[in-house]
Amino acid sequence: MNKFSYEQGELLAETFKRWNVEYLFIGKSGAIFYGFPETTQDADIFPAKSPENGRKLVSALRELGYQLAPETERDLIAGKDFVQLQSGPFDLDLVFAPDGIETFAEAQSRSLLIDGKFPVASLDDIIASKRAANRQKDRESLPRLEAFRDYLRSRNLAFLPTNP
Amino acid sequence: MKSEFNQIKEWEREFDAAAKRSLRERMRFSFIYTYKPVLDDAPHRSFDTMEEYREWCKKNLPEYLGY
Repeated sequence: MNKFSYEQGELLAETFKRWNVEYLFIGKSGAIFYGFPETTQDADIFPAKSPENGRKLVSALRELGYQLAPETERDLIAGKDFVQLQSGPFDLDLVFAPDGIETFAEAQSRSLLIDGKFPVASLDDIIASKRAANRQKDRESLPRLEAFRDYLRSRNLAFLPTNP
Repeated sequence: MKSEFNQIKEWEREFDAAAKRSLRERMRFSFIYTYKPVLDDAPHRSFDTMEEYREWCKKNLPEYLGY
């Protein structure tokens, strides 16, 4: 399995854009786009939950090289709350109903486009989601993530420079 | 034991250092791959609800993974 990279992120963003997939990066991978210096193993995506978006998502994932079994394809179109994929170029968690976030539309209205191509949920939404999930690993990472949000605010930055 | 103030100062130094790297570099350092038992042993999994996912994690994953 290859680890997720900037180049793969670009390819995902370009492919999702071409298929008009509505989505946001979320979770720790989303925070990393803001500049949060932390490690993670996979990319977390929050897709809009609708059969139409699910069908576009399936097409985009196939183009990216994911092998999707018929039942996985059905689950993506149905927008099951959580779908994990390890059958493609990098591990992908698709979270259709992240804890702590009411609707995709609301999250999208607060999101940012980082480096002109990566749509990412707001840091406040990422923090709210981790707080609501309340897993051990979330509880451990929250104080540092909140300190990072405060660090950006104190410097009037939306995110760290992408190419300093 | 670090005080909360010292801990935040230390994190801010790390954030300052991150600000000097490009997004491409930060992603290179941030995304890692290590094998996660059970979790990495299936090509895909789907859960109807997040509650169902959490229950599956509790029941099936080693505690040290932090899920």
